[in-house]
Amino acid sequence: MRAVRIAVLMPAFNEEGRLARTLDELRAAVVGEAEVTLFLVDDGSRPAIDEEAVRAAAHGVRVVFARHAVNLGQGAALETARRLALHARWQPAEGPFEAFVTMDSDGQHRPSDVLALAASIASGADVALGDRFAGGSDVPTSRRVLLLLARLFERATTGLNLSDVHNGLRAFGPRAIARMRIRQNRMAHATEISRSISRASAERASDDQLRVVEVPVSVRYTGESLAKGQRASGAVAIVVDLFHSFLFSPHEPREPR
Amino acid sequence: MQAEITPAAIALVGLLAALFLHDFVTLQRNRRLLLLQLVVFAIGGSLIVYPEIARRLAHFVGIGRGVDFVLYPLVIWLVRESLLSRRRRHEEQERVTELVRALATSGAHEVESVTVAHSSGRAPAHSSGPSASCTE
Repeated sequence: MRAVRIAVLMPAFNEEGRLARTLDELRAAVVGEAEVTLFLVDDGSRPAIDEEAVRAAAHGVRVVFARHAVNLGQGAALETARRLALHARWQPAEGPFEAFVTMDSDGQHRPSDVLALAASIASGADVALGDRFAGGSDVPTSRRVLLLLARLFERATTGLNLSDVHNGLRAFGPRAIARMRIRQNRMAHATEISRSISRASAERASDDQLRVVEVPVSVRYTGESLAKGQRASGAVAIVVDLFHSFLFSPHEPREPR
Repeated sequence: MQAEITPAAIALVGLLAALFLHDFVTLQRNRRLLLLQLVVFAIGGSLIVYPEIARRLAHFVGIGRGVDFVLYPLVIWLVRESLLSRRRRHEEQERVTELVRALATSGAHEVESVTVAHSSGRAPAHSSGPSASCTE
């Protein structure tokens, strides 16, 4: 069977040793299974990400690397990776990318799930969203409560009823990724993506509708990742960011398809 | 009209004088701003020392107290200024984001190329270091 051409979009900020471990696992999971290009965006890490370490850890996987001069936030880094992955210069010679997978660089996401998500896209889905609850993740109680509230918030604001929200492990097909422009620099980008998916899956014309599926994935919670991950105070910041965007961002026409 | 020199009036006028002195030293080159500040502070100081002015103006326009005559427009102005300032910050953040992103994409390069042949303009297989870039 022909290998799927996958673009992995990965933002990274002050991940230190976690990034090398993630890349090492990614390499082990995908080499020989898929044609993967990793779009790694250093979001202003201090010290900057060591390219030699990236090369050593990801050996065998094509890596396109970009660096933000200052820290902007995960949403901004994902948008930079998205634009790079859509740029003609970085397309594989064999043809354009068939699946675009976003994943975190801190080791929470299992690289083997990248293939499962990409397989859903290859099977005809436009958007495949990771569902950590169906994947047997050992989600701490505090995080479960936070995610339940986030799920209710997303349902109320986007109309999308998902089993899991704010899970950075997602995959998009070519026509979906073109419509997922991210304007939220920080963590509110997850809600923004949900809103874009909700709009696109409810298009009147059936040809424009996106087919959305949820795929079981496993998320690992460690002391390090929990300390660096989102907290309840982050939820307030997300609501404030969304409100600022609602107030101050002019309505823009939809992305051309 | 009689001046009301209370401890609060002395403290407030003293604060205005100290602020003006500070800005006079630090903003010497910007004479126009200093002049505007002097006029605003002089009006404010007069309203503090002669509260009867505000009282009469308040009665004239139908507001109960002199202090409300000063406070109401001030609150409206502060709320508006706060919103405008947040909007400016939001717009500046968007500009900075696009600038940082343009620099990042123009400096993007392959740090690891694999054996598959890539399209023209790219680094050869197994290259290292900056090899190609793109601008969005």
